[in-house]
Amino acid sequence: MKKTLFALSLAGFAAGAAARGDIEPLARTCNNCHGVGGVSVGLSMPSIGGLPRDYLRNIMKQWKYDERSSITMGRIVKGFSDDEIDALAAYFAKQRWVPSPQAAAAPVIAKGKAAIAERCEDCHGLTGSDPDVDAPKINGQWAKYMELELAKYRSKEFKMPHRKMKKAAHEIKDAEVQPAARYYGAQSR
Amino acid sequence: MTNIDRRSFLKAVAGASAASVLTVPGARAAAAKARVVVIGGGFGGATAARYLRLLDPGIEVTLIERGTRYTSCPLSNEVLSGERDIATLQSGYGGLAKRGVKVVHDEVTQIDPVNKTVTTAEGGSFAYDSLVVSPGVDFDYSGVQGHSAELAETRIPHAWKAGPQTLLLKKQLEAMPDGGRFVIAVPKAPFRCPPGPYERAAQVAMYCKHHGKKKAKILILDSNDSFSKRPLFEEAWKALYGYGPNGMIEWVSGANGGQVERVDGTSLTCSTTFDDLKCDVLNVIPAHKAGKIARDAGLATLKGNWCEVKPENMESKAHKDVYVIGDACVGGELATGNGFPKSAHMANSQAKAVAAAVVAKVNGLPAPVPVYTNTCYSVVAHDWGFSVVHLFRVANNQWVYIKEGSGISPVTFGTKAAPKPVPRIYRKLEAEYADGWLRNLMADAFA
Repeated sequence: MKKTLFALSLAGFAAGAAARGDIEPLARTCNNCHGVGGVSVGLSMPSIGGLPRDYLRNIMKQWKYDERSSITMGRIVKGFSDDEIDALAAYFAKQRWVPSPQAAAAPVIAKGKAAIAERCEDCHGLTGSDPDVDAPKINGQWAKYMELELAKYRSKEFKMPHRKMKKAAHEIKDAEVQPAARYYGAQSR
Repeated sequence: MTNIDRRSFLKAVAGASAASVLTVPGARAAAAKARVVVIGGGFGGATAARYLRLLDPGIEVTLIERGTRYTSCPLSNEVLSGERDIATLQSGYGGLAKRGVKVVHDEVTQIDPVNKTVTTAEGGSFAYDSLVVSPGVDFDYSGVQGHSAELAETRIPHAWKAGPQTLLLKKQLEAMPDGGRFVIAVPKAPFRCPPGPYERAAQVAMYCKHHGKKKAKILILDSNDSFSKRPLFEEAWKALYGYGPNGMIEWVSGANGGQVERVDGTSLTCSTTFDDLKCDVLNVIPAHKAGKIARDAGLATLKGNWCEVKPENMESKAHKDVYVIGDACVGGELATGNGFPKSAHMANSQAKAVAAAVVAKVNGLPAPVPVYTNTCYSVVAHDWGFSVVHLFRVANNQWVYIKEGSGISPVTFGTKAAPKPVPRIYRKLEAEYADGWLRNLMADAFA
């Protein structure tokens, strides 16, 4: 009974907000960790502004419904209604993608480029700026974040629903993980 | 931070500044349409000033703050262990000044809510249409006999405002002999950073473990009977440092006589109901109350200690057009024990609610419905962290704690009947995320 009441009240909150198109107060709460406009300055936290709407929506819903393992985000999005998740995805997708290119040594870049060829490139593009509709842009994404994300895909302890991404992440050798992340992190465009 | 890290960081901050943010259409910088004064340049005040300018550059914002450089309390326990340089926790006010915030380094001595002016120690007088009060906390030494502000600066630091006392406590830790006793005395809740004392115990233990003090004893003397993220801390303490009467870390609850009643600065002794304990390092955290200026202005309506505010916009229950945010205020679903934690992220979230409310009011727009969130990471070893998140909404002018969007990191996996330990990689990732969280939080307030 209590649960039903909660579900109703949550739907009520969210319907009110969505009806007014007023997602910004909720979107602003994301800035603490992802930056204003979704441009992160924290090396382990991803920038999210300008990522494809489908990608953002899918990942939040997968967390919410426990289809995807998470560290922190799963707990956060469980408090959001589906409508709010849709609106947040649309809001951040509309922001400009601002890469934060990070310098890396030429041999590291070369090694990374070899590692991503025909693997990551297929869905994210050669520089990471031209992804499939449900894949994130990763040019100038924080290398540290991408390294940690790859660790999740490569760990048996994480449920990660994207089969193609999982397969590609497993194909990469241990020594290639960091160069691959640094390669994409170094791309400005 | 390496040089490359720093360069990337600065570049990213510049990028973030250039990124588009929604502003009120037709906002003009020339003639101010409203004057907002912000008292206090911590996470709450700085965020309020920044978001007011972001959301409506037509508003004149004056930030009055004593200090010229702010030091983040979040993650300052890492300074004690040497994991972090205190400089990575600091920010000046240049970022806010660049956004058009008038930054005044002075101390507010009086708030006149009738004539809507504030007065400063150096004789400044500032008229406001809206006032944001974010003074943080003052310490009340009277609860522990023998303790004083002077002792805190010399012999018995609290280090509960990051800065010189953090470095003093670090020095004391370094000078402590192996087998020494490091006591952390925790006041009765509410206090700022609820998980802080327990994170501190872990950081001190980490230092001792790696710096030839394996026989050290870190004793937490608590005035309370439980604490934030308790199962997560206990698991980590046990696994990393040993926990209990025979471990490096020991916790004594209030019910078991943990409350420190008296200290002696000369012999460095602390006394509970049962014991007089000679210490090598004595870290007594005094009880808190809202900063003096808030109490003097009659804003501390809850027992004279804390400032009650309206859920829909953080406006004071005592004075119109005065908003109180950060550790000085009290809010949340108090009846169920789910009050707002006194945290930097919570202050930052409250500040955004105030900024949005003031901007809407100034522009004759409907009042926005605020959402209040908190995320707080604790780091207990360089590769072991965990967090708590909170979500509060507002309905019928009441705060509603949303349990489904709140909670601590998982304590176990598996089922209740057959629990399994949480894989180590989860703790490792949270230690990494803690750093990213802090950098973004700093930028969201000061950049």
